[in-house]
Amino acid sequence: MHKDCDKHYFKKPEFYRLTGENNYVRIDAEDKVTGHGQYVGDIMFPDMLTGRMVRSPYARARIISIDTSEAEKVPGVKCILTAKDFEWKAKVGNGEFAAEFADKEVLCSEIVRQVGDDVAAVAAVDEETAQIAADLIKVEYEVLPGVFDPFEAMEDDAPEVNWEGKGLNNIGMQSVMKAGTDIDEEFNNAAYVQHREYSTHRMVHAAMEPHGAVATYRNGTYTIWMSTQMAYVDQFWYARCLGVPENHVRVIKPLVGGGFGGKLDSYSFGLCAAKMAELTGRPVRMILTREEVFQSTRHRHPIYMKIDTAFGADGKLLAKKCYHVLDGGPYGGSGVASCAQATLWANFPYKMNSVDFLARRVYTNNPVAGAMRGYTACQVHFAHDLNMQYAADQMGIDPVEFRKISAADPGYVAPAGLAITSCAYKETLDTAAKEIGWYEKKGKMKKGEGIGFAGTGFVSGTGFAVLEAPNQSSACVTLRMNKRGMATLYIGSHDIGQGSDTVMTAIVAEELGLPMDMVKTFMSDTFLTPWDSGSYGSRVTFLAGNAARRAAVDAKRQLFEVIAPMWGVMPQTLECLDGKVISKEKAELQMSIGDAMFKYMTVKGGDELVGIGSYYHRTDNSQYNGVNTTNYAPAYSFSTGAAHLTVDEETGVLDIDEFVFAHDCGRALNRRAVEGQLEGSIGMGLGYAVYEHTVTKEGKILNPNFRDYRLPTALDMPKMRTFYDFTPDEEGPLGAKEAGEGSAAPVAPAIANAVNMATGIYFTELPLDPEHIWRAMRGLKDDRNSK
Amino acid sequence: MKHKHSISLIINGDPVEAIVKDNLTLLDFLRDQLFLTGTKKGCEEGECGACTVLLDGKPVNSCCTLAVECDGHDIVTVEGIAKNGQLHPIQRQFIDKWAMQCGYCTPGMIMSAKALLDVNPHPTELEIREAIEGNLCRCTGYAKIVEAIQAAAAEMNWEEE
Amino acid sequence: MVLPQFEYLAPTTIGEACNLLLELGSSAKVMAGATDLIPPMRDKAFTAEYLIDIKKIPGLDYLEYDEKEGLKIGALTTLRTIETSPLVKEKNPATAHAAKVIASTQIRAKGTMAGNICNASPSCDSGPNLLAQGAKILVQGPNKDRVIAIEDFFLGVKKTSLEPGEIVTGIVIPPLAENEAAAYIKHAVRKAMDLAIIGVAVKIKVENGICTDAKIALGAVATTPIRAPKAEEALIGKELTDDVIIKASEEAMNSCNPISDIRASAEYRKDMIRVFTKRAIKQAMESL
Repeated sequence: MHKDCDKHYFKKPEFYRLTGENNYVRIDAEDKVTGHGQYVGDIMFPDMLTGRMVRSPYARARIISIDTSEAEKVPGVKCILTAKDFEWKAKVGNGEFAAEFADKEVLCSEIVRQVGDDVAAVAAVDEETAQIAADLIKVEYEVLPGVFDPFEAMEDDAPEVNWEGKGLNNIGMQSVMKAGTDIDEEFNNAAYVQHREYSTHRMVHAAMEPHGAVATYRNGTYTIWMSTQMAYVDQFWYARCLGVPENHVRVIKPLVGGGFGGKLDSYSFGLCAAKMAELTGRPVRMILTREEVFQSTRHRHPIYMKIDTAFGADGKLLAKKCYHVLDGGPYGGSGVASCAQATLWANFPYKMNSVDFLARRVYTNNPVAGAMRGYTACQVHFAHDLNMQYAADQMGIDPVEFRKISAADPGYVAPAGLAITSCAYKETLDTAAKEIGWYEKKGKMKKGEGIGFAGTGFVSGTGFAVLEAPNQSSACVTLRMNKRGMATLYIGSHDIGQGSDTVMTAIVAEELGLPMDMVKTFMSDTFLTPWDSGSYGSRVTFLAGNAARRAAVDAKRQLFEVIAPMWGVMPQTLECLDGKVISKEKAELQMSIGDAMFKYMTVKGGDELVGIGSYYHRTDNSQYNGVNTTNYAPAYSFSTGAAHLTVDEETGVLDIDEFVFAHDCGRALNRRAVEGQLEGSIGMGLGYAVYEHTVTKEGKILNPNFRDYRLPTALDMPKMRTFYDFTPDEEGPLGAKEAGEGSAAPVAPAIANAVNMATGIYFTELPLDPEHIWRAMRGLKDDRNSK
Repeated sequence: MKHKHSISLIINGDPVEAIVKDNLTLLDFLRDQLFLTGTKKGCEEGECGACTVLLDGKPVNSCCTLAVECDGHDIVTVEGIAKNGQLHPIQRQFIDKWAMQCGYCTPGMIMSAKALLDVNPHPTELEIREAIEGNLCRCTGYAKIVEAIQAAAAEMNWEEE
Repeated sequence: MVLPQFEYLAPTTIGEACNLLLELGSSAKVMAGATDLIPPMRDKAFTAEYLIDIKKIPGLDYLEYDEKEGLKIGALTTLRTIETSPLVKEKNPATAHAAKVIASTQIRAKGTMAGNICNASPSCDSGPNLLAQGAKILVQGPNKDRVIAIEDFFLGVKKTSLEPGEIVTGIVIPPLAENEAAAYIKHAVRKAMDLAIIGVAVKIKVENGICTDAKIALGAVATTPIRAPKAEEALIGKELTDDVIIKASEEAMNSCNPISDIRASAEYRKDMIRVFTKRAIKQAMESL
């Protein structure tokens, strides 16, 4: 951090023209409503080839041979790739800090580990030819026994799914978090203890845009347009697997049609497109089909969770132990961090004296699971909030009061090292309870009716894992100002639909006192924009937002240091407002930013002004080294969801009367953007709770389509009301914290708790689709989640 | 000529003549032959609505329509609804209400909304939701989209009067 | 994914279409809205060497009502037209509803009711309603025209009693008398864009407080939409009290033998037949 860019130096006082009045629209909105905006599938070149992957039909098999001769004979086929075409056995992983965890070959050389695994690739003159050729590639397999249950996979005699010969018992990743007082003593002295078990199902991100890449190879450089949440991380892995320095790989993120974590891994198809562009000398487009997106990208981990909790006589949470087993599929990727975070979420949003958490991510031959909207927060909060509700009911305490007894407060430091800054969790509970009408309806509801609450917390601006090496985790922003006072912003952060490019632009415009259209923004291009590790862990608003603000402050400082002496005042008495540089002390001293910049360049001998800013969260990567007591994020967000619903006892159908959402995101930088995130969270959370379920058989998805994998439609959404006016965060950019990722977590448990109240049954697994509720109400077994 | 047909149709008000393969969908025809990439490809099974266009004024999934079927018909895509550089009121209200996030469903959503408002200028909220029942959105929870369509209806009625 | 190759043919007369279909045999499929053809072709669930588009044949897109014969629906009349028609809503609201609950607005803007039954999916929504209402299917063949009673139309999954060269040209649904009412309820997880877990259609006739005729048809519980004669018997000749309706619903449940699949288990389907038979009878009674 520049010392001169200290947050209290030249920082705008708390009156905001743009973000305060909300009078700006998305910078990409017109492109999106006219259809002119380009997503990766819209990028075309006249001589472009179309690529297609050849994938494994088996969950686990040995490749005996690959015969491409018939495919090569098809007129129009230009290139066929197999494992030998890449750096031999080069592997792809996720964070570059964890390169040693990389466990996925670009194309399988010997063993395929999942249905849909990458075996070969074809490029041809058009899609039809590529499809025909892909079907003609003959792969001979020796089918091997697979393992599809994580508990079976940990048995000594289970097949080794990955890292064969290492004797891992398929435990690909293990995270421990142990901190605080003597936990046995806490349990011994507790007034009430309980043991509960929960499980969650397999969900997919289902971003509306399928994954895709377009690649060219010119002048010794690969350029890859990629539907990605982390272009710079892609650059790292692509360079490694292509065997070239990173400065030969340019990754550009065009518009991305949703991510939710599903575009947070580097995929083989993009590498194949790049390699085939090199080998053919022609651009190659590779867009996955919806079925491939389902089978071969990423999922939300199914997790099996055992929780022991100890409470005092007053209902205060004293200590918690948990054991989480994640079904990871055969590869790590973003699932590695998902495992570490599966212990982290168990802390939120409560105070307790002692924690003892263990999470294991187990390799299986199911489809690969990774981060999904909260990494693993939705699963963990589902279980842990239902666990709290159960305890409240057992102890006979009102569920809202019960949660408030142990709720985290501002300034609280958890045993695990989490240092809470702003925290309005209790206020979100009160707001949700009031708005859903809890106190009026409590005890007066008819049979089949219920209200459920769920409270959760999330990281805001994580930089987790690698923070001793800021260049791996920071967000960087560069700001250029020309002689007319026009600002050009270069940001590395990844707008995948959430609107972050707009927010970054607004922050800079706000700080420079410029209208939005005087700031032009370039984003997410590894040769053009500065480093940013990606859109994940709710980094963007907090980290990139702070970086953008620092870049603007840095630019202002330099400008003021030139203008102030001309006016005979001190630089820190100047401000940028309404397109002008003004003196805060002498009203007559003012000039337009254009004139000020012209003077600046004259004084500086023609130099344009460049402001730079970066931000990262300072902590350590101890959670990967077994210690695990650390502060994971610079701030934390808190949410309460409340659902009011009726269960049709004959059919198991839920009629959700209303969903109320209260989210502590600090100060909203744009009210509509925040509302959109919260409403979207309710939509996806409702899908998770009720509608969406990926059914697999021996690793193959039986419903890889939107016909039988049911996203909620416009008719399925309940009435929603959102509340988010809580205390601004001191450290957040203009006071903001996360909105949109952590907010996905309380939806399913709030619905589940409402169903519990309505039916008198304590459900312990998802989804709560009509048949599942119907079965539970009749005491019938449901084996749908069995492997 | 086997497996190929010559077709003539109107696209966004302009006459278009083309030679198309029998198995070419309207979606791929628009995107790959005419470079009208505003119409999006989400599932190719008629289940997401991202590829919605108007066929003789009615909203259809262009992924489940053959290009050759459209011979002699009138097609309107999202590129064809702004007039003389002025955005259509639905487009304006989508911008104003922040009715999109990733934007991938937006063109299809706008075309479904247009099909509705063209025949029903005073829709109820339920009618709006029914009109977009075949358009999946993963980002917004639909609330802002419904609001934008309501606002567009109001704006268009205001313009009428 | 590009569709597998096929040849598209667009005859302009029904005779030409029938002859083509006869000549090309099972390698040809008739296409109207195409919404039930293209997705399975893409999934390689079936292949066709020829698609015979009947949309260029004049005279098949009609929707009329006749006091004697009832509602006449052309083979090219879209589901959306049926669903939004004030005439259908007035004269046969159950049919308007059975059209409306299919897939999505976009699918219904192209898809036809004739196509929905010709596809002969066990879960098709049009089937139970047409079966309960005793519809007649108008068919033209290379040599003769004929009328198939809906009871005789469905033979199995994706199988109908159409003979080589035959094309459905229309559907006729008898009029509902003053003392008759019909209802169709689809049970699905989502409110749109979903396939029926089960569907129940009923048509009842009530004279002087006594049910004098009843037809109950069930969807998605057998290889074809089926009637539930025992449930019908349980209603006929009786006053439609709650007890009578419950008895009929249980008969309906016991008369079907559904399968378990990824959408629902057999036991859930059976019980939902019970629940929705009851609800459909009550809904029909309300519109009397």
